[in-house]
Amino acid sequence: MDYDALIVGGGIAGMQSALTLGDMGYRVLLVEKEPSIGGRMILLSKVFPTLDCASCISTPKMATTAHHPNITVMTSADIDGIERDTDGSFIARVRKKSTFVDPTACIGCAECERECTVAIADRFNFDLIASRAIHIAFPQAVPKKAVIASDGISPCTYTCPGGVEAHGYVSLVRAGLYEEAFRLHMKDAPLPGSLSRLCYAPCEKQCTRALAEGKIEIRGAKRFMTDYYYDRHPVPEYGVPADRNGKRVAVVGSGPAGLTAAYFLARNGYAVTIFESAREAGGVLRDATPPYRLPRAVLERDLHNITALGVEIRTRTDVASVADLKAQGFDAVFIAPGTMKAKEIDIPGKDLGGVVDPLTFLKSAIDSKIDLAGKRVAVVGGGSVAVDSARMALRCGAREVDIYYRRSRKEMPAHETDVQAALDEGVKLHELRAPMRFVGEGGRLTAIALQETKLGAPDASKRAAPEPVAGSETEVAAEVVIVAVGLLPGADLFPGEMERRRDGTLVTNKETLATSLVGVYAARNAIIDPTMIIQSIALGKRAAFHMDRYLRGESEPASFDLRLPRVTHEEVLSRNAITTRAPEKMRMLDPLERARSNAEIEVALSEDAVRAETGRCLDCGICSQCHQCVETCPADAIHFDMRPELVSVRVRSTLLATGFQLFDARRKPLYGYGRHANVVTAMQMDRLLAPTRPYNAVLRPSDGKAPSNIAFVLCTGSRDCTVDSRLCSRVCCMYSIKQAQLLMGALPLAEVTIYFMDIRAFGKGYDEFFEQAKGMGVYFVKGRVAKIEETTDGDLLVSHEDISGGAGKTVAQHDLVVLSVGLTANPKAFSILKDANVEADAFNFVREVDEDLEPGRTTMEGVFVAGTAAGIRDIPDTIVHASAAALQVAAYLRTGEVNQ
Amino acid sequence: MSAEGATARDPRILVFSTTGISDPGIDLAGSAHMNYPPGVTVIGIPCSSGVRPDWLVHAIEKGFDGVFVAADGGDCALVPDCTARTAWAMERAQQMLSERGMDPRRLKMGAICSVCAEPFVNHMKQFGDTLRKL
Repeated sequence: MDYDALIVGGGIAGMQSALTLGDMGYRVLLVEKEPSIGGRMILLSKVFPTLDCASCISTPKMATTAHHPNITVMTSADIDGIERDTDGSFIARVRKKSTFVDPTACIGCAECERECTVAIADRFNFDLIASRAIHIAFPQAVPKKAVIASDGISPCTYTCPGGVEAHGYVSLVRAGLYEEAFRLHMKDAPLPGSLSRLCYAPCEKQCTRALAEGKIEIRGAKRFMTDYYYDRHPVPEYGVPADRNGKRVAVVGSGPAGLTAAYFLARNGYAVTIFESAREAGGVLRDATPPYRLPRAVLERDLHNITALGVEIRTRTDVASVADLKAQGFDAVFIAPGTMKAKEIDIPGKDLGGVVDPLTFLKSAIDSKIDLAGKRVAVVGGGSVAVDSARMALRCGAREVDIYYRRSRKEMPAHETDVQAALDEGVKLHELRAPMRFVGEGGRLTAIALQETKLGAPDASKRAAPEPVAGSETEVAAEVVIVAVGLLPGADLFPGEMERRRDGTLVTNKETLATSLVGVYAARNAIIDPTMIIQSIALGKRAAFHMDRYLRGESEPASFDLRLPRVTHEEVLSRNAITTRAPEKMRMLDPLERARSNAEIEVALSEDAVRAETGRCLDCGICSQCHQCVETCPADAIHFDMRPELVSVRVRSTLLATGFQLFDARRKPLYGYGRHANVVTAMQMDRLLAPTRPYNAVLRPSDGKAPSNIAFVLCTGSRDCTVDSRLCSRVCCMYSIKQAQLLMGALPLAEVTIYFMDIRAFGKGYDEFFEQAKGMGVYFVKGRVAKIEETTDGDLLVSHEDISGGAGKTVAQHDLVVLSVGLTANPKAFSILKDANVEADAFNFVREVDEDLEPGRTTMEGVFVAGTAAGIRDIPDTIVHASAAALQVAAYLRTGEVNQ
Repeated sequence: MSAEGATARDPRILVFSTTGISDPGIDLAGSAHMNYPPGVTVIGIPCSSGVRPDWLVHAIEKGFDGVFVAADGGDCALVPDCTARTAWAMERAQQMLSERGMDPRRLKMGAICSVCAEPFVNHMKQFGDTLRKL
């Protein structure tokens, strides 16, 4: 048996019961869902009617609970379920939430709070002020440890195939920490310059803000931070890692996949050599990415990120075989040649001069080796290679550039924005045209014979298949035709050394990318569309992860992808009230200006624009994982690889001290809570009066003015059938009178009015407390408030009927209204004991078998209830009830011992 | 809070405070942006009764103008009679100071609860004034 008693809930009731049982020698496990014990009481200003300081009474209790030798406290933990075993004991599954902070290491210094880039509403101050995603709950928290608020991984970060933490760098850019944003990117992927120009940005497609006024220009943020960083750091800040492990890795191919694998392996201390058959490194980025998309200087700087680590790139070097590499002393090999060849088109005239394949064309055009001055250029195809070829042809001086595509524009695989950009620049698109033959004279192309097509039934690619229209043949003059109708895997590399699929590509393990040869890994497929390089980066990163494990001799299988679940758009939208803010977008240079120039066509956002744009981020997952706290933590306590932990404990008894829920004042729309800034709840007023209060003064929210005329509306959400809450919640009259008295003390000139139905002052000294308030000058108006309206300067018009004063229906003006919200049952008590026989009473509180004679005993043997979980009561009554329940638990435990 | 930025007029005060009770109160003074003399350095300890008389004397000898022990005043979660024990340590340390020809008023003890931000600030101001006059 692990514990004698499990207590669920660490509020004043749970602590009191735990201390009572602990003092009797029973071993107690106290489970609290929040990061600190203390419940609601620690957050209150004073207790009535003695006006003792609530937090001064609570903190010693909290400290004693935490230090008690018989009490184990688990904070930030939920009960996943409790089951009864055959011997009468319970097996409780406790889910320790991942707070991403190791509590044994955290020293509670709060340095992390200062660095955090995500602001959240401070729920321990009931949203009156801001807190940070990483925070210590409140100064009196026990344990005083930081926790990170997280609802899951933000959709943008989650969706990135390369694991680039988009939310992280957006949040850093928002905070003006551009260099830190760049460094975070470098932790995840090494080619930010190329990605910021080319990436198809799947993150933006997942942006929750897209459901409001428009997605956030995440790629624009990356572009800004990368340009900012590269401007200030022409060379990387780091050099060759000091702790090299002496192992060597060969990478075949210097495209994005090879570069990425080399980067991560070199960072881990491997000596990496890249073999590249071409003249220069970069693969698709060098050979197939037009400079108007990716300036060469940016590419060079991106490559420098990798070479600075000591990665050697051997260009113009062919690799004979893997065996040869092994013979040269390489411990592992990554094959990422990315070779592709253009699909040929089998029609007459395909061998004429002037019929070119797009890869050769693009490479020569990018290297400025082609002059097309005065020529008419035709491009056949509708993919991104076709569109890029057409646009490069323009830049090589072509007189006319025409794209012929056999389907319609809608079916073109190229990105629509690129197609439009090409058309703006002067490229002409001819839809539903297929070439029949190339016509030539003297071995050189002079014209293309085309026929019209129409769209038929869907083919294997699920797109409508083009069907020729008979008799529609035409001939157009052209001196050059670029045939960009698709790409195929390239030449057979290393024949006979490894297992292959039927199409000649290497067989690789889906998780590890390992080939059939031990120590040899390969990228599954090549990409030629430069917008898709993040896919290659993902493969390189995955290969590096598994190669590192292989080289370290780890045999246990491990998964590369350990993402936590993502937060849903619905969860995010339900949490945020979104105001519309105009999105900023990167613009392109004027078409006439850009069409004949190789200069970069996309214009970066200005600093102001990028700050405004990133300021629209909704922080979907809450924590952005920007890692600023990790960098600053002096105790190295923050670990984003922390995962929730499920612990099973065996206990002899269970005590529910799950407390109450505050009535949600939004459910009384006529009172305007959530709409009128100066309508607050009593819990917020208690925070404004507490010694630990925000601002250290009583201020009204709209303008920070000290209020001078304050109203309390009693019975908001209690004794009210319209919101299905007919129970009197017992404490509201007294806490309102307490707050009224404290307000008279804090603001001696303020007028305080309490609108009430009946004042229920039934306890010892309570009626005297009420009379004392009257004596201090608090106005008591008997009458129900009908509605609250707001004036232009934020004051409030309270419509009510003055019953006892005889004024009848009146409207009174106040500058702050406090809704004395009721306390209701917390359904949580029942969800943890799913199938158990714990019954609810008529008001959804935990039913006691006999409230008068057996306090704390529920309808299930061995399960007890303490405090407000059984019914609303004030603090002294809660402590009495919790002590009584603890004694019931002790009696139950003792009986079990005696009978054994 | 460190002693950096203290000027000749600002006495250097070392504070021993209990991590469970007094620390949150002192923290609160900072997070509520209350002003107190800049020459205050706080060291957290589990219980005020853990201070040894020779530590207090050592601090004065090493250049602190005064040492303040923030006690729990009966709220201690660890030692029931910690206030009496702390008082004994204070008394002994004051004796030791007198024997060494130093003013025993350089040592002070006060109860600081978890929300005693204002009392703490007042203590520091008054203690600072006292030390300035010595």
